[in-house]
Amino acid sequence: MPSERFGKRNPSRSPGCARRRPWVAAALLATLWGAPGASGPPFGDDGWKKASPGYPWSFPRDHWAHHSYRNEWWYFTGHLRSAGERKARFGYQFTIFRIGASPRPVDLDSNWSTRSMIMGHAAISDLEEGRHYFSELVFRAAPFLAAFGAPPDPLIAWSRGPAGTSQRWELHWNGQGFDLRAVDSLQGLEMELSTTALKPLVFQGPGGYSRKSASGQGASLYYSMTRLETSGRLRLGGREFEVEGMSWMDKEFSSNVLEEHQAGWDWFSLQLDDGRELMLFELRDRQGKVDFGSATLVSESGECAYLSRGDWELEVARRWKSPETGALYPVEWNLELPRQGLRLQLRTLLDNQENRSRIIPSLFYWEGALELLDETGRRLGQGYAELTGYGDGSRPPI
Amino acid sequence: MIRYYRLALAAHFRQGRILYFLTVLGVALGVAAVLAIQIINRSAVGAFRGSVQAISSDADLSILGKSGPFPEEVFLKALDDPSVERAWPIVRSEVRVESDSGSFFLDIYGLDLTAPMRIDWRGEADQLGAALSQEGWIAVSTPLARRMGWRAGDRFEATLGVERLQFRIGALIDIQRYSPQASSKLAVMDIAQLQHLQGGRGTLHQIDLRLRREGGAARSAEPPPAQTLRAARDRLQDRLGPSLQVLSLDDRENQARDLLGAFRLNLTALSLISLFVGLFLIYASTQASLVRRRAEFGLLRSLGASRRQVLGLILGEVTLLALLGVALGVPLGYWLATLRIDLVSATISNIYLLNEIESVQAPPQLLATAASIGVLGALLGALLPAWDMSRRHPRDLLSAITLREGISAATRPLAALGLGLLTATGAWYLAWGQGWKPAGFVLGIGLLAAIPMASPLAVKAICSRVRLRGFGLSYSVRTLSLQLQKTSTAVATLSIAVCMLIGITLMIGSFRKTVETWMSSTVQADVYVAAESWRGGARSDARLSDDLVKRMADFPGVEAIDRLRSRQVYSGPFRIGLAGVDVALPGGEQRFPLMEGDMDAAYRSALEGGVFISEPLARRSGLGVGDPLPLTVPWGEAKLPVAGIYYDYASERGAAVVDWSTYQELFGPGPPSNVALYLAAGIDAEASAEQLRQAFSEYPLRFNSNRRLRRMALEIFDQTFAVVRILQAMSLLIAVCGITLTLLILARERVSELALYRALGARRLQIFAIFVGKGLGMALLALLLGTIGGLALAAILIYVINRDYFGWTIQAHWPWASLAAQVASIFAAALLAAVYPALRASRTPAAELAKDDS
Repeated sequence: MPSERFGKRNPSRSPGCARRRPWVAAALLATLWGAPGASGPPFGDDGWKKASPGYPWSFPRDHWAHHSYRNEWWYFTGHLRSAGERKARFGYQFTIFRIGASPRPVDLDSNWSTRSMIMGHAAISDLEEGRHYFSELVFRAAPFLAAFGAPPDPLIAWSRGPAGTSQRWELHWNGQGFDLRAVDSLQGLEMELSTTALKPLVFQGPGGYSRKSASGQGASLYYSMTRLETSGRLRLGGREFEVEGMSWMDKEFSSNVLEEHQAGWDWFSLQLDDGRELMLFELRDRQGKVDFGSATLVSESGECAYLSRGDWELEVARRWKSPETGALYPVEWNLELPRQGLRLQLRTLLDNQENRSRIIPSLFYWEGALELLDETGRRLGQGYAELTGYGDGSRPPI
Repeated sequence: MIRYYRLALAAHFRQGRILYFLTVLGVALGVAAVLAIQIINRSAVGAFRGSVQAISSDADLSILGKSGPFPEEVFLKALDDPSVERAWPIVRSEVRVESDSGSFFLDIYGLDLTAPMRIDWRGEADQLGAALSQEGWIAVSTPLARRMGWRAGDRFEATLGVERLQFRIGALIDIQRYSPQASSKLAVMDIAQLQHLQGGRGTLHQIDLRLRREGGAARSAEPPPAQTLRAARDRLQDRLGPSLQVLSLDDRENQARDLLGAFRLNLTALSLISLFVGLFLIYASTQASLVRRRAEFGLLRSLGASRRQVLGLILGEVTLLALLGVALGVPLGYWLATLRIDLVSATISNIYLLNEIESVQAPPQLLATAASIGVLGALLGALLPAWDMSRRHPRDLLSAITLREGISAATRPLAALGLGLLTATGAWYLAWGQGWKPAGFVLGIGLLAAIPMASPLAVKAICSRVRLRGFGLSYSVRTLSLQLQKTSTAVATLSIAVCMLIGITLMIGSFRKTVETWMSSTVQADVYVAAESWRGGARSDARLSDDLVKRMADFPGVEAIDRLRSRQVYSGPFRIGLAGVDVALPGGEQRFPLMEGDMDAAYRSALEGGVFISEPLARRSGLGVGDPLPLTVPWGEAKLPVAGIYYDYASERGAAVVDWSTYQELFGPGPPSNVALYLAAGIDAEASAEQLRQAFSEYPLRFNSNRRLRRMALEIFDQTFAVVRILQAMSLLIAVCGITLTLLILARERVSELALYRALGARRLQIFAIFVGKGLGMALLALLLGTIGGLALAAILIYVINRDYFGWTIQAHWPWASLAAQVASIFAAALLAAVYPALRASRTPAAELAKDDS
């Protein structure tokens, strides 16, 4: 199952906006490692640091891993266009999850000695051809399999590729943004992208502290880069494309993301053509009711406005049923932020953007490219959505 | 007819209780013997499969080293292969747990606990962190925890080599829920934890692989198609090179089956002999019951019943009896299997190094097969007498005169046929059979078939030569030839049992003596030292330390020290034990008594990198002195010249020995797993072992004097043959029942004759003695025939079957004491078997004279 965070992305230059999305990862992890439900609580007395307000951020150091928190992820999504003859359009996702197993360093006389695992997900939606490619890997962070770096080494994380392939996946800080690389020769998928931040990073929640429940039990430390100019190379099914476009990056770490009763989330990162960005997430309980939500609206200049439920109306306009998993996902929505006078139609650019794990059969979620329209059908921007906890057998994220 | 059958049946069963009981018993014992052995065989393989499935349930293929652990880089190589979807690294260790309720070996698997897998060894939620970081975290099986009184959070100590290790129970896993046959003594830790404990950084024992499924089958639990599996296996094998082997679960199971092959085959053959003996009992009892009822069949035929109907009637009855026998035999066989499974389990884990058997496996198909064997066997046994009865003319059947037995005239042709059969199989063996492994069994079958064929002639010839000296034993014996068909059947039955008893006793006795002699030559050192966690057979990674070895060498009274390291390796297709020892040890030549090769030259060659190979390996590989022995080593293949061939009885799979320095070159430096200490003259080994025990009491070590070691080895030897003894006893029991049966028939058929004796003044005691004499006479005849057959069988077992299947040279030896004890017990059994029929016969009143001798 996917873990992920809900709410994610929100850009903004001043620290200050909050965001979503961490859940995906957490959910994934929980299902993977049989620690479902362990999301919650006894943090603190188990040695893991809890996400709490007042975290002393320091950049660029905080772009690297934080091993004293249980979970962490680097989440990239974006829209790309090929520059060549064929004007192809793509959506992409690249995610590195760190799943901590021990808050203390583990020093055993073994090359397998580790305190965490690395999980990678990479997906490309070919919006012209209508195809979605997905690749994944899970390894323990052991010297010859995968590892997290530390500054000043620009390498943030690397892993050997998925089984059956031999090239590495990597994530680097390049001083202006991130460079990322994922290769899966068996799925015919390859991405090598370089990003540069066009706006300052934003905190998703005051001081980067992002609550995930009304009780405040669930929370994370969370920032985003909402406009990353992106260029590089994609390879899909033997065809290669020089691409450029715009990405969104979420970075989140926490030891206590979801609460026991929370089953999934709908999370959106929207880039408006007028220069604003909106991150919005809604967490659902096991009955499917929205349990908690949060949003951050980033102005063109990067200032954040933190919104709470009641500040928006989100209504599902169409659903799509996955023929593979039977999960019924919403794929079109009407979103209204009355106070901001913002009315958007969120429409998927491809129905089937479901990521299905081969490694963890109960892990499947929808992560896909959207376009934003007004009531007349005029384009207002683009975005990405992540939908988890849909379908029978999909284990509740965290 | 069916109605008649129903009505008559109950009456017959009431009248002929004993006869029917014996038929039922014959079926029951035969079925029980076959079933028990099949259950044991199946459970042995099942235990292996169960444990493999508990660990490798998601795997399609496993990579294993051909010479022990292999470098971790292989894991990356395997992951690169496009057909591989998942790969799981595994390390293993066997530690010894001491507890108040006894000690045992715990088989620990080091798995990558961060990898998703079907059986969640991490236990309750959120144990992963502890599993990875808390030193000694281990998941044990629920049944073991129950037995030991362990709960999650408890700690226990175990030893590995000279180390004492502390474990903390982090999770209890009911593995038998996933894999019912899995050993409960199987535990799991994270791979890093186990490597840390065993100091085995950088190497793996196994890698499990799951192959990529096409398209939607990604999540399928179904195995990939056989062809895909084979192709992937072969490609990976090519890619990984000859020092590793890539095997499917079935391949691994077949390897275990092969490993146990000779052991299983022998047990199966012996159980079939029990069945064969059981068939004779059925034959005899059916015949007796039919003779008694001949008038009834005559009447039926006169009333218009066809031959086929009569035959059907008889066979129907036999089927019913057989079903009763099956109903008894199946639970009996199951009970026997459970009773003896511990002995077999000990053999399997001590000698073959496979998993112990903890539960008995008796799937319905197996029970159904055993039941069919019982029913078909009974029909086969009854067919001849039934057919004989049905084809007779009604007039003969109704005649008041006792039916003449047709066998009397046929004794010679029958014996000639038997002899011919024996000669033919012998000739076939000499001409063509020698290269064919099962040829020994063909010889054995020929022998066992010839014995019953020769019985009538033997009985007739011997008994008719007995001179009558009054109404006593000579009368008893002489009259045996008068009811030849019955008595010769009983004699034949008992002969086969005796033949098996004597043949196997001779074989085991000779084997045991050979091993004793061999040990007295090879077990030369005074005190043998190994870690408590060391298990014979070269699987264990329980090592001593160099420092400890040095301290022992310096111990007062120790003059010389011999070191040994060993492991399982492949030599071509053969999996053998390879040991490294100090070849140059002064006076150590007797450790490897050579059957081929010049002693001095052989030892020189061994010191220069040559290898001694055991006799079984020489036989299997066909190698002689000077030939190169291929050995799979971690870096590829080494070829070592054979320096000599030595007698060895420790492993039928084959073994080889190289000098310590050669071993270090092949597998890298390392401490020995065993040392042997040679004491100065005049020092008592037992006392010295005790002193060493005290001096090194802080280490988990075993010190055995050579005397004790030999005794322990013989105990294991005896344990190995324990099941064989049970089968012998069962055959004997069936055969002795044959005597009771025959005497009962005689008592019944000869009622008028007995009445006549009584009328003429014979006392009851005399009649009683006559019948007991008949029983003893039959036992004597059977002993005579059986001994001749037994000698031949022993020769076949020792010189043919043993060599072909085990490859050992066994020196013939006469275990007089046990042979004498067995002869005495056969007589005693025959005596007991005769008592009841003799009592019945002695009670025959003279008034019976007036009746028919039916």
